[in-house]
Order: sequence, then structure tokens, then C-alpha cells
Amino acid sequence: MGSNTRGPDADGESPDERMQSADRDALDAVFSLAYEELRRLASVVRRNDPNASISPTTLVNEAWLRLAATPSVAHTSPLHFRRIAARAMRQVLVDIARRKHAGKRGGPDAIVITLDDGNVAAQGSADLLALDHALDGLAQMNPRQAQMVECRFFGGLDVAETAQLLDISEATVLRDWRAARAWLATELRDAS
Amino acid sequence: MSDDPRDPLDAEQWARVQQLFHAASALPADAWGAYLAEETAGEPSLCATVRAMLTEDALRGSLLDGGLAATAHAVLSDDHAHLPMETAFGPYRLLRQIGEGGMAVVYLAERADLGSSAAVKLLHDPWLSPARRERFASEQRTLAQLNHPGIAHLYDAGVLPDGTQWIAMEYVDGESLTEYCRTHALGLDARLQLFREVCDAVQHAHGHLVVHRDLKPSNILVTHAGHVKLLDFGIAKQLDPADSELSPTKTGLQLMTPAYASPEQLRGETTGVYTDVYALGVVLYEMLAGTLPFDIAGRTPGESEMLILTAEPVRPSVAARGTTQGADANTASWADLDVLCFTAMHREASRRYRTVDALIRDIDHYRRKEPLEARPDSTTYRLGKFVRRHRGALTASIGVLSILLVTGVVSAARIRTARDAAVVEADRAQRIQHFTLSLFAGGAESSEPGDSLRAVTLVERGVVEAATLGAEPVVQAELYQTLGSIFQKLGQLDRADTLLQQALRSRRRLAADHPDVARSLVALGLLRVEQSRLPEAEQLVRDGLALSQRVRPAGHLDVAVATTALGRVLEERATYADAITVMREALRLHTAIAPVSPDVVTAATQLGNDLFYAGEYDRADSLFRHSMTVAQALYGDRHPLVADALINMGAVRFQRADYAAAERLDRDGLQIMQFVYGTEDPRTASALTMLGRALVAQTRFSEAVPLVKQALAIQERVYGNVSPKVASTVNELGIIALREKQFDDADAYFARNTDIYRAVFKRPHNLLATALANRGSVFSARGDNVQAERYFREAVAVFSQTVAPTHVDIGIARVKLGRVLLRQRRFADAERESEAGLAILTSQMSPGASWVKNARSDLVQVYDSLGRSAKAAAMRVAQADTLLKR
Repeated sequence: MGSNTRGPDADGESPDERMQSADRDALDAVFSLAYEELRRLASVVRRNDPNASISPTTLVNEAWLRLAATPSVAHTSPLHFRRIAARAMRQVLVDIARRKHAGKRGGPDAIVITLDDGNVAAQGSADLLALDHALDGLAQMNPRQAQMVECRFFGGLDVAETAQLLDISEATVLRDWRAARAWLATELRDAS
Repeated sequence: MSDDPRDPLDAEQWARVQQLFHAASALPADAWGAYLAEETAGEPSLCATVRAMLTEDALRGSLLDGGLAATAHAVLSDDHAHLPMETAFGPYRLLRQIGEGGMAVVYLAERADLGSSAAVKLLHDPWLSPARRERFASEQRTLAQLNHPGIAHLYDAGVLPDGTQWIAMEYVDGESLTEYCRTHALGLDARLQLFREVCDAVQHAHGHLVVHRDLKPSNILVTHAGHVKLLDFGIAKQLDPADSELSPTKTGLQLMTPAYASPEQLRGETTGVYTDVYALGVVLYEMLAGTLPFDIAGRTPGESEMLILTAEPVRPSVAARGTTQGADANTASWADLDVLCFTAMHREASRRYRTVDALIRDIDHYRRKEPLEARPDSTTYRLGKFVRRHRGALTASIGVLSILLVTGVVSAARIRTARDAAVVEADRAQRIQHFTLSLFAGGAESSEPGDSLRAVTLVERGVVEAATLGAEPVVQAELYQTLGSIFQKLGQLDRADTLLQQALRSRRRLAADHPDVARSLVALGLLRVEQSRLPEAEQLVRDGLALSQRVRPAGHLDVAVATTALGRVLEERATYADAITVMREALRLHTAIAPVSPDVVTAATQLGNDLFYAGEYDRADSLFRHSMTVAQALYGDRHPLVADALINMGAVRFQRADYAAAERLDRDGLQIMQFVYGTEDPRTASALTMLGRALVAQTRFSEAVPLVKQALAIQERVYGNVSPKVASTVNELGIIALREKQFDDADAYFARNTDIYRAVFKRPHNLLATALANRGSVFSARGDNVQAERYFREAVAVFSQTVAPTHVDIGIARVKLGRVLLRQRRFADAERESEAGLAILTSQMSPGASWVKNARSDLVQVYDSLGRSAKAAAMRVAQADTLLKR
């Protein structure tokens, strides 16, 4: 899945490591599902359908349902699985954005189906890559906060679930989130 | 990224930044400046960071606040809006995008040279994952095999220079199934008609061993002309023995839609035809009720799964009230739809319709107002149906009703309807043929228990029809013959007997020397085999063969068929040498007529069996292999005849003491049997027994016992308690009990078998000998050497009358006999038996086989006791050699 320069997670065992020990097919399937869910989310926004559900939670639920029976996933709790799925969402999106960025710049990975300069996707890709980079920075400052952002933004976990996953109070989640969000926003603004 | 605005903070600095940020944010914005100036004096960079954060906190306008959907949209949404329309997709030119799913984007395309349209499907971002590429390629392979008006055809496929895979397929301009039903306000019958079309298409796929696995309304379009088209075979599965499917631990990553997913999919278990049957049930439910059976929207995964695995959905008849299609939903006929629907989507795969065909038949029954074949869990359904149908006229007591039901004669009105319908049908001979074909030509799934009730009803109907044909005796006799054979296949031997005799009598009246008389004689003879009336069987078949040889040219199919039948009788009578001669001739005749034909498969298998029983394992093995090759050429890899051949080859390995190989072959065979017949069929039971035997031989008793007991229960249900088929399973249980030292149980099992074989064969038979030898083994294990000797001697005597003197079974029995003689210190007697046994065994078995070793160690003792030191030494060397090699 491309290069990865992320720092370690709070508990010392990154989801990536867990995923690598997992069945390769299951890993592949998580990424495929993450990809499909991102497509679904994107198309809902494009159709501007106010009734459609655009919560990324749908993916995580369905992915869990689909993958729960595979040996490599069966031993993980649903909540932990959602954390893996959140990581997959981030990774897939970043990979696509990198790929597009490369295409735009005509790099060695340039693909035939290229993008017009200045379109929304080019900006979107740049923003996302900036967020990814800033999250790596946050992980060095406070791994738990980076993980929290990943779970909430990419995985759609709510405050209560995040609190449970990270074993902290909901008040702490709200407080940490607010600071992390504000700091990341300053980083994104600087990058753009 | 190199253009990083500033270095990240360290953990301590970050803690401080956050503390300041939270403290300041509790203040009004105009107080921030003063607060920070005081707190961060001399630290301008720290101050700037907190300041910027406070600003962003108030703005809430970053990517993080837009949500993931907006980001996904920004990153993904427009890439194919800029697809170069002139890119070459074979002969197709893209016109506009018509759809997009997670996997792929679909364009309407035009084929310039022909002016026709097509749908071109492109895989999104193929580089992302091999699983996605494989799924896409697999859909292409699947579609290429299918050719049905109800399935969108594959036209073409290719890969763009950047690796993007595409396929061009039939463009279907239509609405999804449920949408179509709604927008056209379809009534019940129109919905059922559409559903039936869906079933037809799915059945076609199943006929090509393709299971769709993702059936749902959005994958089923209805064209403007009102016809169904199945789309999206993206996660379809090719049923194939080479599939990883064969591994019992297989779990699939099944990317199905949870709302239509079967319980076995949710549990990650093996999927099959029954998985599609389930999804069809859910689709039908939705078409009837207008809602899904399980509302999983907004539920957590665990809840959804729990719901689908345990909840009872509202009956469609209740859910449909007040809808267009459900205008009469409170009437009794909707109760049948409930049964039909719930049978299709039964939680237990084994209780669903076995095939989509069976589901289609019930749809047709319903539409013709006939009783369904499906029954709800209690028997009250059938009774209720009957009463409803005849409420006006019916005054009979429930007792009378029950008798009618038990005999399978459903009702006079029913038969009248059937006859009226029959009269309308055109040509009678064609009807016979069609009728027979539709019932049994499919072969594989013809007489499964789930279907037999229905078959019996149909055949009974045929009998009534046939009785009206007195004016056309030739046709009538043909019908009786056909119906008789069908009853025989259904296990109703008495009914078969009556009909076959009627056919024979009627044909003899017409012309005593007619080829049809010969065919009747042979058919009746084969029935006698099943009735275990073997001398009569042999006489009938020999008469039939002689007549055929007289009135037919040499090499005629009738002669070949009669010869095969004679071989079968001789095999049943355990006269294997004669059976082998006859079957060689039968195989030669059939091969000359058609080298790749079902008859060749049958004849080769039968000859293989005879050679096997005669102890000629190499030749048996090559015939089983031949019959497998021909069966595969005829039917593909997943067919019961292929399974038979695998299991037969397993039996050869078993006989040669290569139990691991036997287990592998048996598992492969069992897998096919379970796929084709389900878990409750006698053929599955035989395969279970064989596998159990291979496990027992490897001393894996705890794995074997449940399999074998399951097999026995099935067989007793089907064949009754006194049957050779039951006996072979009882024998297996006896062997296990013996090896687990449960001697009373073991003796009871083997005694039951000697009784069965004596009752059935009424003369010496090698199976009886086996049962006797096994009883001997029980006494031997108990240390009762005198009783043991008695049974072993009886066994050897019976074997000698029925199999060749060099047969392995004789060898084993004599070695066993030698051992109990040795224990009685009758050394000279023991020497004779053990030496004879060992000579037979070394010519037939691998030197490491346990009986060979046993015989050698017994003989070492015998020679020592008799003072034959040279022989004892030679035997010790031979034994040590073998042990060292292992």
C-alpha cells in the first residue's frame, strides 16, 4: 500500500502491524471496502441527496459484518475493527490523493486518465495530503490525540465510542479533540 | 513534506500549548491577547501557535469540519468526468456515464460499426488492490459462460494501457425490480411472473455451476418490454472441485449486501445454490410485502447479524396488507405465499428449496392453484389446504382425510384438474418423454427426498392418465413401464412392481417376441435385484437378454443394456468371475455405440466394482479412473458420478492400506455429494460412511463416530432396518466399538449384520463372511479363542465359496484364525493358517500393512515354538526390514 512514515501509536502496536499479521486477503478486502465506501460517500455528496446517509459509520458496520467471519478479523473486537477500518479509510484516501498528485505533476506514476489543473479534486487531494502529514506531526506530539482524530474523522466513531476505545472519559475526548482540531486546522491553513 | 511551516512541537510544549488554549478559550475573544501576552512573555512562537488555534477554533472551516464525505468527494468524485471519450475500448465509443458503484463506473457506449449500444464497465483505480482486480476478472469469466435472455451478455473485454480493466456488456435500459413493481403498480400475478423470470435466469447460472451470491433488486433490472435482466456477477462463485471451497475450513470474504445475505454468508460458511435460493426468498418477500423482511438500517453489525440469524420476520401476507399486490392479502391463498417465501428463505439451508427449479415449480403450483410441494414446519398446512379447497363438499372425517394424504392421492378434484390439463397437451408420446425428462433427465438432483413427495404426486397423476389410455395399448404399456421405473427410483418398489408387470403383460399380449417385451423383462429383473429376489432377477434378465439377442442386430443398444443388467445381477449374487466376463462384454458394446456416454460410465464403474470385489485392485482402479474421465467429459467436475468414481478410487486406496489417500478421495467425493444432494440423502450417507471408515483406519475415532452415526440414521430412514446398505454402516460402528473395546456393542452390531445378510442373500455371500469374521474378531479381542476360531473358520468357508482363493479378505481371515490357534497353542494348525494368510497378503498388500506384520510376528512365535529356528530367523529379518523401511 505505498510508503508509510507514520509514527507509532499510543499503545505501541500500530494497526498496521496488526493488519500485517492478519490474513492478506482480509487486509485487501478492508481496503477494497474502504475504497467502495469512499466512493459511496463521494457520490452522495455529488448527488446532493439530503436523505442519503453520509455517515462513514455505514462502511465500518458493513465491513465488520462482511469480515467478521474471517479468521484474521474474528479475534478483534468490533470496536478495534473500527479502528482498523478508520486506518484503512485514511490510507486508501491518502494513496489515491498521492497518486493523483503524482499524475498532476506528471511524475513517474502518471496515469493515462489525468486531471485538469485547478479542479476541485486537485485541491481536495492537496488538502488531504496536508492533513495526513499534520496528523503524523500530531502523532509525534501526542499519539493518542492523533489516533482519536483518525477514529473520529476517518472512522466515524462518536464521542462515547472514542472514549471507550481509548479508555478515557468523554470529557477528555471533547477537550483533546477540540485542541487537536484547532491545531490541525492551523497546519492545514499554513500548507495551503 | 519539505514545505512544512514549522517544526512540530515536542510533547511537553504541546501540553503547554493545549493548557493555554483551553484556558484562553474560556475567556472572551477580546481578552485572549492580554492573557497570552502575560502567560507567554518571551515565547512569541508559542503565543502565535495558541493564537492561531484560537482563531481556527472559532472558524470551524477546515477540512476536518467538512466531514469525510466532503473530503472523499473532493478527492474522488470527478476523475472520470474527465475520461477521454475517445479512448479506445475495443470497437466501443463512450457516450455518457450511466452508473457508478463502489467497484466500477459504467458508461453507455456505442459500437460505431454496428450502430448498437453497449454498457462499458471500467474498474476504478485498479492499482489499489489485487482483490478488486480479481473480482472484476472473475465477473468477466463468469459472464462469458452464461447465455440466457435473463442475464446481461458479455460482449467484449480488455485492458487500457494504464492497466484499467473494462468489459463491454449488453446495455439494459430499465428499472430495478422493486422500482418497476412500484412504478407500474403491478398486481400479485404480474409480480410472480417477473419473479419467475428472475428464477429462470438464476437457474441458468446454476446450470453452469455459477452461484450469483449477491442477488438483490438493484442487480435485477426490468426492461421496458417487461423482461428481467440479471446484472453484476461481481462476486459470483464458480463451483469447482479445484476451488479452495474443498477445504473444510474455507471462509470467504463475501462482499455481499447484508440485507439480502443468507445466514451462512453472515457466518462465513460455505455458500452454494442454497445461498441464491435464500436471496431469491428475500427478493420475493420484498416483492410481496413491499418491505424487507429484516430492517437492518441503522443497526450495529452485531444487531443486524443477530436479527437475520434469529428474528422471525412478519409474514408477507401481513406486511402486504393495504398494498396493490396485497389487495387480497388476508385471504387464505396468501398463506401459501407465506409458506413459499419462508421455505425459500429458511434459516437452515437444508430446509430451503433444494434448487431454484423446485422454487419455480412451487410458484407455478401456486399460480395454477395447486398444492405446494413445500410444507411448513407442521403438517397442518397440507390438511388446511385440503380443507380450504373443498370446504363446500367436504364432510368426510379427518381419519379419511389422513388416509388420503398418506396414500398420496390428494383429491379427486386435483386429479380431474390434472387430467383436463393433460388433455389439452398435444402429443402423448411427447408428453411421456417430456414428463420423464423433466423429472429425471437432470439426473443429479432428480430423486432427492425433498423432491420425492412431489414426484410421487406427479407419477400418481401419470398413472391415472395412463389408465384412461386403454384404446392405445402401446402408449399405455410404455407409460406403465416408464412410471414403474420412476417409482423404482423413488424407492416405491411395490408400486413399481405392479406397473412393470402390467407393462410386461400388456406387451406380451401385443407380440410375444417384440423387443419391448425384452426391455420389460430386463426392467422387471432389475426391480427384483432391488427387492433382493436375486434368482428371479437373474432368470428375468437372462430371458430378456436372450430375446434381445434374437430380435435385435448384434451390438444393438438393447443388447448392451440387457448385458449390463445381467452383470449387475451377477454382481449382486457375488459371482464375480461371471460378472466380470459379462461386464467386459457390456462395456465393449457400450463403448462401440458411444465411447463418451452415460452408459459407458455405468458399465466401467460396474466392471470396476466387480474387479474390486474380486480383489483385482489395479484393474479396478483404472476402470474407476476411466469412468471418472468420461463422467467429467459429460457432466463437468461436480457430478455425483464423478463423486462415485472418487469414492471408489478411495476404496482401492483403503484396501491397499493407504488410508490418508483414501480420506482425501472420500472427502472430495463427499463434498460433491453434499453439494448435489444435501446432507440428508442416502448417497451423502454412503459417502459419510466411507470417510468415516478412512478415519477409523487412522484411529481417529472421535472424528469418525458422529459421521457414521449420521449416515446410519439417514439409511435406516430410507432403506428400513434390514438392508445391506444399513449393514455396511452398522459394520463400521461395530469396528469402532471393537477398537474402543466396547465388546458387547461390537458383537451386537456384527450379529445384526450376519442376520441382515442371511435374510437378504439366503446363500453364501462374501459380505456375510466379513460379518462372521468380524464377530470372530470380537471374541478374539475378549480372549475367547474357541468362539473366535469358530467364527473365523465359518468366515473362511463362506469366503472360499464366494471369492477367489487369493482374495485379501481370505488372507486376513486366515491370519486372524492363525492367531487364535496360536493362542490355543495349536502351533501346527496355526502355522498352516498364518502361512497361507501371509502368502495371500504379501501378494496383495504393502509389506507394511498391519496384517502382514501381524502374520509375521505370529509366525515367528509359531516357528520358535515348533523349533524351526531357521524359519523363525528368516521371518525376523523380513519383519525388521519392513520396520526399518518405515
